[in-house]
Amino acid sequence: MTILAHVFTLLAVTAGALLFLAGTIGLLRFPDTLSRLHALSKADNLGLALIVLGLLPQAASLTDGLKLILIWLLAQLSAATASQLIAGSLNRRKSGP
Amino acid sequence: MMTTTTPDARTSRSGLILRSAGFLLLWMILIGPAPKDLAVGLVAAVAATWTSAALWPAGARLSIPGIMRFLMRFLMQSVVAGIDVAWRAVTTPPAVAPGFVTFRTALPAGMIRATATAIMSLQPGKLPVASEPDGTLLIHCLDRREPVAQQLAADEAAFCRTLTDGGQHG
Amino acid sequence: MADVFTAAALAILAATAFGLFRVLRSRIAVERMMAVQLLGTGGVAALLLLGAASGVAATSDAALLLMLFAAFSCAAFTRGEEDTPDEDPQPTKEKT
Repeated sequence: MTILAHVFTLLAVTAGALLFLAGTIGLLRFPDTLSRLHALSKADNLGLALIVLGLLPQAASLTDGLKLILIWLLAQLSAATASQLIAGSLNRRKSGP
Repeated sequence: MMTTTTPDARTSRSGLILRSAGFLLLWMILIGPAPKDLAVGLVAAVAATWTSAALWPAGARLSIPGIMRFLMRFLMQSVVAGIDVAWRAVTTPPAVAPGFVTFRTALPAGMIRATATAIMSLQPGKLPVASEPDGTLLIHCLDRREPVAQQLAADEAAFCRTLTDGGQHG
Repeated sequence: MADVFTAAALAILAATAFGLFRVLRSRIAVERMMAVQLLGTGGVAALLLLGAASGVAATSDAALLLMLFAAFSCAAFTRGEEDTPDEDPQPTKEKT
């Protein structure tokens, strides 16, 4: 069982790290600001989700696991609001006076 | 109109108590159940409930099965969104055709619509940038060749099913 | 396992650093703001991994705080934007 858990952790953490790399690649290569915001909010978000998922089987206690999930939830919340705020601010700037 | 003895007010009050209990539980998970910290946690839970009541009225009815289905869909879509954008980033040249689409939403302006657009920004290829009072949303998409309008309509329908009144008032 | 976590944390930190370098050099103020979000997500992931690698439980508290700061500074930035709508509309051209 622990071997399975370890393999799962290994896969999830690797995939998460790869998504962070892809997010940065998108940030460097995408042609416009809003596309770059897509890369940032979506790839990095899934990256963090995978890292949290991978660390869950390694959590020392139930509360530690719950805490990891809560951190992920807060990250989702903050990513969604932040990209909304940034996109809105960019839009006002463009169409503003 | 509103007196404290109507059944509606009573259910909303118990709803608020339930909410603060939930916030206190959150606190205990994050900070730990040590009794000396709990006093601070109680204050924090009351403050959080007060803020949440201002943002999301206790009368607003949420449908639990609707939320569960929505969560499943949301998680799947988040995975799709991440892989989609990662794939677009690493292909040569980057597989993007960015542009704007407008979409008319039936959701009422305010907290409900803001929640919906915030959630939408985590879904594949779409990023709402502006919301007009008449319900027109300006949405930036990574690839205009995708059937964006259909996807948006599906997202909106899934979101509406989390509200028991289908998002008719807010 | 600890080595894997450390390696993943370093990879994420490197990716975050590259991204930061890109957005912080940008002429567009809004893009510079994306640095905060980038550092928030990447930093949290790296902190959680390093915490798991070292067994220090307090790193998850640090990760939590970093997440909150990122969210707050994003909100503060956009509020500030609203107050000063035409702050640096044409920033100095950068040489490429």
